[in-house]
Amino acid sequence: MLELPTIQDTMNDRRRINGPAEGTRPPVYASHLKSGGATDRAQRQREPTDLRKIFLKTGLIPSASGSSYLEFAPSSSLANARSNPKSLIPPSSALKLSCTVHGPKPLPRSAAFSPNLVLTTHVKYAPFAARKRKGHIRDASERDLGVHLETALRGAIIAERWPKSGIDLTITILEAEDDRWWADAPDLHDASWGMMNVLAGCITAASAAIADAHIDCLDLVSGGVAALVSDDSTEDSAAAPRLMLDADPAEHRSIMAACVVAYMPARDEITELWLKGESSKIALEKGDQRSAHEALIDGAVDAARGAHSVLSEAVRETMLRAVTPL
Amino acid sequence: MTTPLPQVAIPGQCLGSASKYTAGPGTHIQQSNIYASIAGPVILDPAQPNTQTKSTLRVSRTIPAKPHLASTSKLKDRYNTLPAVNSIVLARVTRVQKRQATVSILVVLDEDSLDPAQTSDNDNIASILTSAANPENHSTTDELRFQALIRKEDVRAVEKDRVVMDEMFRVGDIVRGSVISLGDQSFYYITTSRNDLGVVMARSEGGNMMFPVSWKEMRDPITNASELRKVARPY
Repeated sequence: MLELPTIQDTMNDRRRINGPAEGTRPPVYASHLKSGGATDRAQRQREPTDLRKIFLKTGLIPSASGSSYLEFAPSSSLANARSNPKSLIPPSSALKLSCTVHGPKPLPRSAAFSPNLVLTTHVKYAPFAARKRKGHIRDASERDLGVHLETALRGAIIAERWPKSGIDLTITILEAEDDRWWADAPDLHDASWGMMNVLAGCITAASAAIADAHIDCLDLVSGGVAALVSDDSTEDSAAAPRLMLDADPAEHRSIMAACVVAYMPARDEITELWLKGESSKIALEKGDQRSAHEALIDGAVDAARGAHSVLSEAVRETMLRAVTPL
Repeated sequence: MTTPLPQVAIPGQCLGSASKYTAGPGTHIQQSNIYASIAGPVILDPAQPNTQTKSTLRVSRTIPAKPHLASTSKLKDRYNTLPAVNSIVLARVTRVQKRQATVSILVVLDEDSLDPAQTSDNDNIASILTSAANPENHSTTDELRFQALIRKEDVRAVEKDRVVMDEMFRVGDIVRGSVISLGDQSFYYITTSRNDLGVVMARSEGGNMMFPVSWKEMRDPITNASELRKVARPY
């Protein structure tokens, strides 16, 4: 009797012994968690309105017409864990990404006439970027990030100054944010929160690379994240969730809702807005008249303003270096 | 309202009121204020005297290289400029047909780079031309360059109907032309119907660089054979 192979079988390579497709993760034992308790968990050391430090530099890739590299400072828990290791697994990860702009170059021969600049964005995680290994083919979340990034930049670029040409913007994420603390099981409020921070970083880095490529834009557009967080550390579950700027998902037990904006300070305009979570049901602290939506958007805009100060300094620094050679 | 102009600007930086200046390249107007669109040095072009026009504010794409550093400085980046109507371009002939010649644009010359004292907007023009005239480099980078057409009637201003394309251009020639139209989805349109436009560099059938002898003839210095071209007036 011959059994027909299932679709799953035909997709896999059955002639060789392959490793697990998903990759492996070191086991986390419950006993270890009990003994370690809450001390192992990364705790936010910053004030709710403090952002992580951002490293941003442009013009690092000579073959591209514009490029940038962005890094978020890792949370202080990482340094603690390194000096006093309780586990092999780092408690949190930070964002590291590089962005290149190629062009303006002619559109492919098959493309239709376009009086405007055609912007193409690609976001790709390096295989080692996240705790779960990423494949070489872009998956849904990477395509999603690409679309969000394109929307954010399209509002900032003056496309009609570059007829018949296109630019390719490629972002490689070298280290991505976690979606939650590594030892936490996915719970009710779980979502890919790390993606929000990644998108904010992508927007800021892409804007720097576009400025480096001397593409006309209305303003430097920067990304910012704010989240409504309920940390039940006070044992008071009725406490209202607090608004945190630039929330690192590894540092919070439960993120209720989060928001990313792409923001242009010179014009006070938002080009991209992405809200996640059930923000409509959340009541803020007493005395705060805003709805949760408004609070999140305001917070994200504040975070974006902070990122913009770094962004404008990075762009200015690159230019001054070119104007006055060493 | 006498705020001094900033030396350098970054995109989104307010430069001044639109009632005081005219917005030039690299800037845009938002709510009657002029803002920078690119990062670069701010340049104020004074208005023509005896006219009512305002002085023009622009942000330059070129970084003014210091003269004594110009030769050694490797900081010169390659910034793209697009061909626009009336801009002078250098292009390499990739195909010659009965009614038209196809060229690929190597470099767009703007006002700054026409002045030999300044470094060019794009890469060093000399290096572009030497690499472009080398047959080994042909057709590798054409896909990344803007393509253009020189139609038979745009080759020269007189005796347009007597033009034979084979006697005007050959594949591999470097042509100086002026853009007359942005054209369709794939090609720009270029004319060479001026004395200073036409073939500037060409190799003979023997493969030697030729020198111009008249407006329609170039000569091989080694074999002494002459070939027909639509020659640009040498400076």
